[in-house]
Amino acid sequence: MSGAISPKRAKETALLGLGAVTLTLGAAAVLLLLGGYDPTKAAAAMLRGSVGSWNTFVSITLVRAVPLLFAGLAVALAFRAGVWNIGAEGQLYVGAVAGVWVALTFTDLPGPFLITAALTASIVAGGVWALVPTLMKLRLGIGEVITTILMNFVGIYLAAWMVHGPLQERRGVFPQTDRIVDAARLPELISGTRLHLGFALALVLAGVLAFVLKRTRFGFHLRAVGASPAAAAAAGRIDPNRVILVTFLASGAIAGLAGGVEVTGLTYALYEDLSDGWGYTAIAVALLGGLRPGGVVVTAIFFGALQAGAGAMQRDAGIPAAWVDVVEALVILAVLGLDRIRAARAGYHRGEEAQ
Amino acid sequence: MSQPLVRLRSIDRRFGLIQALSGADLDLYPGEVHGVLGANGAGKSTLLNVLGGLVSPDSGGIEVGGALVKLRSPRDAWSLGIGLVHQHFTLVPALSVRDNLRLGLRGRSFSEAGAAVEATMARTGLRVPLETNVSELGVGDRQRTEILKALLRDPQVLVLDEPTAVLTPEEADGLFALLRDLAREGRAVALVAHKLDEVLAVSDRLTVLRTGRTAMTAPRSQVSVRKLVAKMLGDGVADEVAIGEQAGPSSDAVVAGNAQVSGGASVASLSTARGGTVVASLVAVHADSLKGVQLEVRAGEVRGIAGVEGNGQHDLALVLSGRKSPSLGRADIPKEVAFIPQDRHAEGLVADFDLTENVALALSRMEEFGPSVMMPWGVLRDEAERIRTRFEVVAPSTETRARFLSGGNQQRVIIGRELALNAPMLVAENPTRGLDVAAAAYVHGELLKLAAEGVAIVLISTDLDEVLGLADSVSVMTKGRIVEVSEAQKTREGVGALMLGGGEVSK
Repeated sequence: MSGAISPKRAKETALLGLGAVTLTLGAAAVLLLLGGYDPTKAAAAMLRGSVGSWNTFVSITLVRAVPLLFAGLAVALAFRAGVWNIGAEGQLYVGAVAGVWVALTFTDLPGPFLITAALTASIVAGGVWALVPTLMKLRLGIGEVITTILMNFVGIYLAAWMVHGPLQERRGVFPQTDRIVDAARLPELISGTRLHLGFALALVLAGVLAFVLKRTRFGFHLRAVGASPAAAAAAGRIDPNRVILVTFLASGAIAGLAGGVEVTGLTYALYEDLSDGWGYTAIAVALLGGLRPGGVVVTAIFFGALQAGAGAMQRDAGIPAAWVDVVEALVILAVLGLDRIRAARAGYHRGEEAQ
Repeated sequence: MSQPLVRLRSIDRRFGLIQALSGADLDLYPGEVHGVLGANGAGKSTLLNVLGGLVSPDSGGIEVGGALVKLRSPRDAWSLGIGLVHQHFTLVPALSVRDNLRLGLRGRSFSEAGAAVEATMARTGLRVPLETNVSELGVGDRQRTEILKALLRDPQVLVLDEPTAVLTPEEADGLFALLRDLAREGRAVALVAHKLDEVLAVSDRLTVLRTGRTAMTAPRSQVSVRKLVAKMLGDGVADEVAIGEQAGPSSDAVVAGNAQVSGGASVASLSTARGGTVVASLVAVHADSLKGVQLEVRAGEVRGIAGVEGNGQHDLALVLSGRKSPSLGRADIPKEVAFIPQDRHAEGLVADFDLTENVALALSRMEEFGPSVMMPWGVLRDEAERIRTRFEVVAPSTETRARFLSGGNQQRVIIGRELALNAPMLVAENPTRGLDVAAAAYVHGELLKLAAEGVAIVLISTDLDEVLGLADSVSVMTKGRIVEVSEAQKTREGVGALMLGGGEVSK
């Protein structure tokens, strides 16, 4: 049995990601051809729109990556504990609502306090939003996949109602809030670009999460519960419910922060369709990143580039941006498929190890 | 001899990096019970799965009735009259036992199928609660259902992988008698069981696999037990096994298959069990399936608890080891209890964790590590390395994932880890299930050594020979209660009767 040792997990994941991307881009090229478009033109436009220049990369790609980073980290953390939080989208929206509300209400607070209060509110709101499915899971045994998805709709429509009702701009024309005061805005990170402090916050958060997972007792318990709740309880005397409670709330809080950072860092107001499905894209980001914070940073920027390139593709090559949604979906399928193949090659899909 | 019903010729099969079979042969003749023997990882299950159409070989030939065939699925195998009773269960949990049995008889009317079920149950003496959902069954009943399902389709060749692991001795004997009857009717039966004496008692011919190759095929009457074990473990290993087992009186006792009985009893009598202080006591404990359990465990004794699967043993193990609190009654147990759960894969280890992480699972809660927020990975790595060396875990390093260890080596990791806790009591639940002779002997040796050092051992097992062989005092669990076994009743038959008396079998 000594020969049956798996290669390093990190390398495995990296290869998997690379394979998925290659497979996907190949398939996308074929689809574009079938659709009557020129794949080379599309690729050129995509590259130009995402990494064509320093400013494009920083002001568009990285800016697009910020909410994906937060939401991706939120999803990755939950998934590592075996908590299938599909609710990042809703948590993001209520986080944005709470952040904007604080920023619009407590305008007398001095800058650093106002921005801190706004972001804290979005963290709390995201956590509270996750609390509902958490309690339903732990107390009533209702699967969180369903409840988090349903809570998304509640969150999305709550935000929509806010911008049509209580928080609508004073002019009352558009479904959006007033713009928040300067004191409530995140400072820019690199002057002359649109990149704001939120990006740095996300990187710090990724570092903290990586450290927690690797080095701390709680992180170890989280991984144990995610890998096998039964073994965590029996061999480790870990209470899986406690770990799930903390992780689920933390995941919701981080997703809420995604919304708070977006409105205080970029849009300075809440819109009805603030998120372009980031909470769902975050699932692909997390999976493709191997559920590791470092991996999420890479894949979030990759998806940010995809979305940035989509705009350019539409403008310059006349290819609908919806094609990028197709590419994203293909990435997810490729990752899932390759992961299964890898599992099958290891021969453990039917409990055949060591027979 | 007549023509074989089935002939497997130099079968190769690889799973990833593991060469499960390399040139394995097997002939099955009408009228024979054919025992397939081998150590863990020798390829027994894979070979049977090839026969049952679950695994397709990379190369090699399968002949059925003289004709070369391909078995792409269990359905192919069934259509040729080959029925496999799988080691893992293949029942639909949400359906009743009756419906599961009917599933195997598609094409027949409900009443016809029902009658066939009743008739087969009567003929075979295998009793199962027909109206219960499979999800609510214990493992024993599931196993019986699985066997019935195969028999209902009247196979010419019946293949059984570990059918007796969860049956009572009496039921196992019944099953063997049934297998003999089936052979007498001109069918062929192929059987894998870890307990050597069972296979020897029932088989006409034997095939020994070693590292995926057929090491020997011979009529039962022409081979000695000693030779078989030598073939299974590699020539010259038989003696080593005997030495490996703690204080095993002679190598013959070990290889005799019921080694645990003779080998264990002599050691047990050496230990000064009776006078130890009480380490744990349960008073009128209720918890889920436990219905008022009384139990006292003393330092240095091996307390054996026998019983048919699903009579509350698992809850007892959890309560005794502090993993579950009683809903009623009192449980005085040590703060730390070493625990060998029955399911290595699900409860003992995290398959995707490496050795260090699996060791950390238990050790990181030790007091010497304090209430620290951080994981002391350096210390834990050293500890894992020490366990790997001291318990001779076959793994290239402490970074090897538990998934890639054989069952015996997984159990070594668990034992090493739990011993490092230095707990005053150890609860072991079916600690040798699925292990081969050598690995089981090793586990038994470690348990007895611990008892001799003064640790209280609670051995919960469905393997009656194991309990009788190792334990100083024996109790039986039935329906969530504990029945003490008197010295006079401490026999296979006596305890077996108690196990069945209040067992899980309804009706």
